[in-house]
Amino acid sequence: MTPGPWATRIGHLGLVVILAFALLAGRLWQLQAIEGGHYLELSEQNRIRDYAVPAPRGVIFDRRGQPLVTNRASFTVALLPMEVRDPPRLAEALARLLDVDAAEILARLAEGRRRPFEPVRLRRDVDRRVVVAIEENRLDLPGVVIQAEPVREYLHGALAGHALGYLGEITEAELRTRPDYRPGDLIGKTGVERTYDDLLRGQAGRLRVEVDAAGRPGRVLGRQAARPGHSLVLNLDATLQRVAEEQLRGHVGAVVAMDPRTGEVLVLASSPGYDPAVFAGGISPANWRRLTSDRGLPLLNRATEGTYEPGSVFKVVTGTAALAEGVARRESTYACTGALVLGRWVFRDLAAYGTVSFVRGVQVSCNVMFWTLGRAVGPERLARYATALGLGVPTGVDLPAEAAGFIPSVAWKPRAHGEPWYPGDTLNMSIGQGWVLTTPLQVARMLSAIANGGTLVQPVLARRVITPDGREVRAIAGRRTPVPERLPAAALETLREGLRAVVEAGTGRAAAVEGLAVAGKTGSAENPRGRPHAWFAGYAPAERPALVVVAFVEHGYRGGIAAAPIAKAIFEAARSSLLAETGGAP
Amino acid sequence: MTARWAREVDWVLLGTTGLITAYGVVVLLSATHGVAEPAAVLRTRLLHVAVGLGALIAAAAFDYRRLATAAGLIYGATLALLAAVLVVGDVRLGAQRWIPLGPFGAFQPSEVAKLTLIVTLARHLDVARTLPRMRALFPFLAHAALPALLIMRQPDMGTALVLVAILAAMLYVGGARPADLAGLGAAGAVVAPFFWQALHDYQRRRLTAFLDPAADPLGAGYALIQAKIAIGSGQLFGKGLFAGTQNVLRFIPEQHTDFIFTVVGEELGLAGTLALLGLFLVWIWRALGIAAGARDRLGALMAAGVAAMMLFHVVVNVGMTIGLMPVTGIPLPLVSYGGSSLLVTLAATGLLLGIRLRRSWF
Repeated sequence: MTPGPWATRIGHLGLVVILAFALLAGRLWQLQAIEGGHYLELSEQNRIRDYAVPAPRGVIFDRRGQPLVTNRASFTVALLPMEVRDPPRLAEALARLLDVDAAEILARLAEGRRRPFEPVRLRRDVDRRVVVAIEENRLDLPGVVIQAEPVREYLHGALAGHALGYLGEITEAELRTRPDYRPGDLIGKTGVERTYDDLLRGQAGRLRVEVDAAGRPGRVLGRQAARPGHSLVLNLDATLQRVAEEQLRGHVGAVVAMDPRTGEVLVLASSPGYDPAVFAGGISPANWRRLTSDRGLPLLNRATEGTYEPGSVFKVVTGTAALAEGVARRESTYACTGALVLGRWVFRDLAAYGTVSFVRGVQVSCNVMFWTLGRAVGPERLARYATALGLGVPTGVDLPAEAAGFIPSVAWKPRAHGEPWYPGDTLNMSIGQGWVLTTPLQVARMLSAIANGGTLVQPVLARRVITPDGREVRAIAGRRTPVPERLPAAALETLREGLRAVVEAGTGRAAAVEGLAVAGKTGSAENPRGRPHAWFAGYAPAERPALVVVAFVEHGYRGGIAAAPIAKAIFEAARSSLLAETGGAP
Repeated sequence: MTARWAREVDWVLLGTTGLITAYGVVVLLSATHGVAEPAAVLRTRLLHVAVGLGALIAAAAFDYRRLATAAGLIYGATLALLAAVLVVGDVRLGAQRWIPLGPFGAFQPSEVAKLTLIVTLARHLDVARTLPRMRALFPFLAHAALPALLIMRQPDMGTALVLVAILAAMLYVGGARPADLAGLGAAGAVVAPFFWQALHDYQRRRLTAFLDPAADPLGAGYALIQAKIAIGSGQLFGKGLFAGTQNVLRFIPEQHTDFIFTVVGEELGLAGTLALLGLFLVWIWRALGIAAGARDRLGALMAAGVAAMMLFHVVVNVGMTIGLMPVTGIPLPLVSYGGSSLLVTLAATGLLLGIRLRRSWF
């Protein structure tokens, strides 16, 4: 039989078929034979996800082993950018659930698109109700995942908040210098959380999981356990810290207590305080605004970051310099007439004390005597001693953002003020006024050197680094360096006698503790911002000092009235252990 | 008598159909692995095959010339079904394509419309004898346009385009002048933008996504990217049945229906895809052979229509999974899950066998 007339055209169709199949086969060859390796890699990336398993952060203990900061389990709501289908709608829904701004969610999501398989945290430490609500609406919320993560728990609330510090998400700037962190990681922002962040944070583990298209994890392909962070034992004494904070309640100020022999910081309080727990799950914008706009500056650690005129507390420096340089002797007497005449100017004291010995002059805080001593020592040597005793220089405490303070000098003044150093400036400086600025911690360090016989100690908050099961990783001790000025033992002896008299029968009587010999110096520092600052810096036991306490109340007016009782409360609380330690009689 | 009958059966076509169907069952089991009970999938599929085999035998046994005399009835009934589906049809995946059949599941009239068009258009062309000028083509355009527009309304653009492909191939084989066909094509290109406006937004996105899937990797481009990854990652010999990660972990939507070719590519590799394409090539080649050797113009037109239908389905479906064609959502015949498609393809095979049987019979 012969083919029909349509056969030619069917032949043409055959040609089309051949061409079409050749095209398909060629394309398959390209995809599978030539580019197959690349696609295989892509398919592996599709199915394999590496998750970071957060390491529990180290626990922070006080010096007696009492835990201050631990961790508790919490739920974090995160987004897998890869799985998110309708971002605006999702952001809307989540904003309501999480009480986070929808725009913020969208911004974080956009940021996360660069790593579409990495979960982007939206909110840490969400309420269990929120977790339930999300689980119930899982199908309507593609891409939303809930992760279990430990968050900080502050067992004593706001106690020692400034010393402990708070955590926050790492910033772009911090990330640049710390390649071992990932976006969204928590990092210590302040306090020892910051200083010892590397030790506390541990090492996140990795979990390699096979996931399906919806991001649901299936088989575990590999795991590397998280290494929990080291724990930190502080020198801080929770009991004394609590006493200090109770004393400061209602005041603006700071309290520092340290062991003058070692630099161990037992108390570091600043008021007003804040509760670091509000940062634990990521601080809400409202809370952040409240903390940063508060006129009382609750985030400021006044003990180390605030600088203030020391006032009469500085007389310890003036007295030391005068005695060490031989300008004053134990036997010297001074006419405390109530005023000092300097050329055309008259410098008035609070009161006239008559003729006083050096010790008595310290006891009553006679300005005329210290003006006289200051003039005799001279501003250059005064500045040298102040600096040598650690004023106006950072103490090296293991806390971030420490302030330096300031000691003026003859050479500095013309540069800064365009005027020469006047004799009146020397008088002001010798009683801790003028331009002298110190932190409460510097004052504690200065007094420690007087109390311990001439050694500058570096204040340290941390005592030991230990593993989670308690083995010591390393002990932490402050550097001890001799004061780089001549400090004859007899000079210190005389000065300490004066400081003892201050508390026994002088301006600092309010710091006296029964059965414990307390020595110290009060201060009421004139300042341009308001009423004088109240200071008390003291130590005990007087004969074998084991605890230095500095109490500072901003605009507290009289050191002997506003600050000394705070120090007293701390000495009182520490009395039994101080006596037991130094072998004194109760 | 029996021996002669058996000699006239195109065993190659029948065997190829069987092989593709069997291949499809294996791939389907893998594509539904972990989602549906394999026994249930197998049972449904075998039931469909059994019914389809019945349709195949019926279509082969029934004289296509007598079938053609009922063209008006068939055409009318199909249009009625297509209209009915718009009224009573089930809505699935956003389209109204199914007529519920109670315990037998549901039925897609648009699948039948392809076969209807092939049979009735063949009859229509056969009666017309010649196509001397472009104007003579218009009745045939209208003939195909009516069901195509109804199908577009569902909306099922893919199947509507299959009708257009069938029309074009049959007009060509029926003797339309190439210049006239080219003119129609040009006219089509001119009116295309109007149709474009009438399309749903998602359809437009799907149609253009293949040009640059990366532009919308989580939306319209998602399936395309994942399909290419699946097929490419199969490399030469595949990851093995049931071992394709893109498949098992559900990275590809509609992997058991429109995107089933990705499972072939990923799990059986280039060897598997070329083997399957080879089988389809043989099938279409035999269909064209039957068309060329048909005893009359009617048979040739029908066979050519069936060949065009198969060609279009394979090229568009496979092309879509490998980034050569836009996503139109038409199944891979004999392989994709779906009873209506299988039934119609087997019936079409039966039609071919019948045309071949009657080449020298009677």
